[in-house]
Amino acid sequence: MSGVNWVQLSIVIVIFGAVTAMGFMAARWRRGGPLESLDEWGLGGRGFGTFITWFLLGGDLYTAYTFIAVPAAMYATGAISGFFAVPYTIVVYPIIFIFMSRLWSVSHRNGYVTPADFVGGRYGSKALSLAVALTGILATMPYIALQLVGMQAVFETMGLGGHNVWAKDIPLLIAFAVLAAYTYSSGLRAPAMIAFVKDGLIYLVIAVAIFYLPHVLGGWGSIFDAAETKLTATNPATGKPVGAFIPGEQGYSAYWTLALGSAMALFMYPHSITAVLSTKNRNVVRRNAAILPAYSLLLGLLALLGFMAIKAQVNVKGLDGIANPQLAIPRLFDQEFPSWFAGIAFAAIAVGALVPAAIMSIAAANLFTRNIYRDFIRPSATPAQEAKVSKLASLLVKLGALVFVLTLDKTLALNFQLLGGIWILQTFPAIVVGLYTRWFHRWALLAGWAVAMVFGTIEAYNVINPATKKHFGGSLANIPFTDKQAYIALTAFCLNLIIVIVLTLVFRALKVPDGQDTTHSTDYTADQGDPGVRDLPEILDEGGPATAKP
Amino acid sequence: MSRLSAVKPAYWISGVLLAISIVVPLLVSTYAKDGPRLWGFPFFYWYQLMWVFISAVLISICYRLVSAEERKRRAAQGLGDPDRPAQAKEADQ
Repeated sequence: MSGVNWVQLSIVIVIFGAVTAMGFMAARWRRGGPLESLDEWGLGGRGFGTFITWFLLGGDLYTAYTFIAVPAAMYATGAISGFFAVPYTIVVYPIIFIFMSRLWSVSHRNGYVTPADFVGGRYGSKALSLAVALTGILATMPYIALQLVGMQAVFETMGLGGHNVWAKDIPLLIAFAVLAAYTYSSGLRAPAMIAFVKDGLIYLVIAVAIFYLPHVLGGWGSIFDAAETKLTATNPATGKPVGAFIPGEQGYSAYWTLALGSAMALFMYPHSITAVLSTKNRNVVRRNAAILPAYSLLLGLLALLGFMAIKAQVNVKGLDGIANPQLAIPRLFDQEFPSWFAGIAFAAIAVGALVPAAIMSIAAANLFTRNIYRDFIRPSATPAQEAKVSKLASLLVKLGALVFVLTLDKTLALNFQLLGGIWILQTFPAIVVGLYTRWFHRWALLAGWAVAMVFGTIEAYNVINPATKKHFGGSLANIPFTDKQAYIALTAFCLNLIIVIVLTLVFRALKVPDGQDTTHSTDYTADQGDPGVRDLPEILDEGGPATAKP
Repeated sequence: MSRLSAVKPAYWISGVLLAISIVVPLLVSTYAKDGPRLWGFPFFYWYQLMWVFISAVLISICYRLVSAEERKRRAAQGLGDPDRPAQAKEADQ
């Protein structure tokens, strides 16, 4: 570990320490509810208005996904695998504008905290609720894996790690240990409290990066020209271009399906649904949908950091000697910024990966506690037992994420998030369509989900990375019976819908009984202050209803 | 036709605007080209970033339309206005 940059490392450690201490101190001010783990939602305990919600939701978008994964994809293969994130974050807001307020209303009227709660209550099916819960937990793991890879890249850039078998995984293990220690001891309060500090740091770094770097690198025009030269060159290994500077006709379907599939998937994740449910009234979400796009602009400019790394000709060879595109942005900062500012930027990236990863793992753990442990294993569990199970589950989710990092191909970290999307999108029919109609039959939904999950996983397994020969090498595959590429999540989703519709017709014809719907049509438009609408802390203090009433 | 006209204009106008802001940014063939460049940005890049603003404007219009309509509906049903908590409290009691 001779190449450690001590200036950067010290700054990162100081900022990390300060932020953590701040989080713990802030957490003390909050009361400890009877249901420790669920009450500790932090975000959920307070009815947030438009501005704070904007700040927090937006801050959640700036994870290692934006800072490391998207620019790395731009650096390695260009527009199709990277810049689709811009249309993705543009179309996500009209989509949530359409359905999120209905979910807010029905959840607050009926005491739902997770998507599985809603599905269980709406369709009267514990099996379907279980399917939604399991999918949420599974899909969160690769998303956390992406955050780990992001932190790993930062630590490696500072010189931690080495080239032998043991040393090469040191940065990853440090990232994992920091995350596990952080969530285990503090729960969700601390991450919520430091969200402001984290966002402030991140905005500072973004502002400097997108104004200062193009200036020192010779202007945007020359940055784009350098990218074009690299990406249109022929890759000797495959005989095809290295990447896409501007997608050709063959790439259109890949580009828009990646954008649409990711957009539909984002708000199916347990952590994003909880964030939305924690808002004060039904319209805060809609108002936010109108002002959140401002973040997409910054995301687009951050994506272009990947092109700046091309222009600056950064060295992306890892300490183990293998090229790793995830190093492009940290190395760019290392090369172009003075050490002290690079240190601040690294701290921002690392904290920016740590906080969402903590929130995600706790959201997944609570999903387990609420919809699996309490519904299936120990219905009579005490709050203390539930808190203990939650802590353990959160640790297991993070271990799962670590397994993803260690076993899957991590040439492009973005693939982790896309893999999670393939799974989580299969809960869309039950959740979103369920907000409007109960026409879909519960067993048809379950069958559609099961087939699509298997289909999506097999398709993703069959994508082999040409460079590393590993499975799960990407998230694009040909649409069956065509030669057009598409995001597997969306192909599987279409298959899912077809099965649901056909089987619903069959089950209706056979008069297979529907489940009991415990929601009422007026629930879907209820707002704060209406009879029966409760705030999230109230729901959590009561422990909420069982998800599916028999 | 009679069913269509029963839908409040605020809702169908919003529906159209939202559909536009979902579909148009996904029509890759309309913007997958290099020129004209703007401040060095190829068309493909600046056009998509421009849609961030267009989308924000369209959604704001929808927000105004829909929330005005909901306020009317809630007033007609005698429910409180959740953006004014004092009134909401009264409705609660």
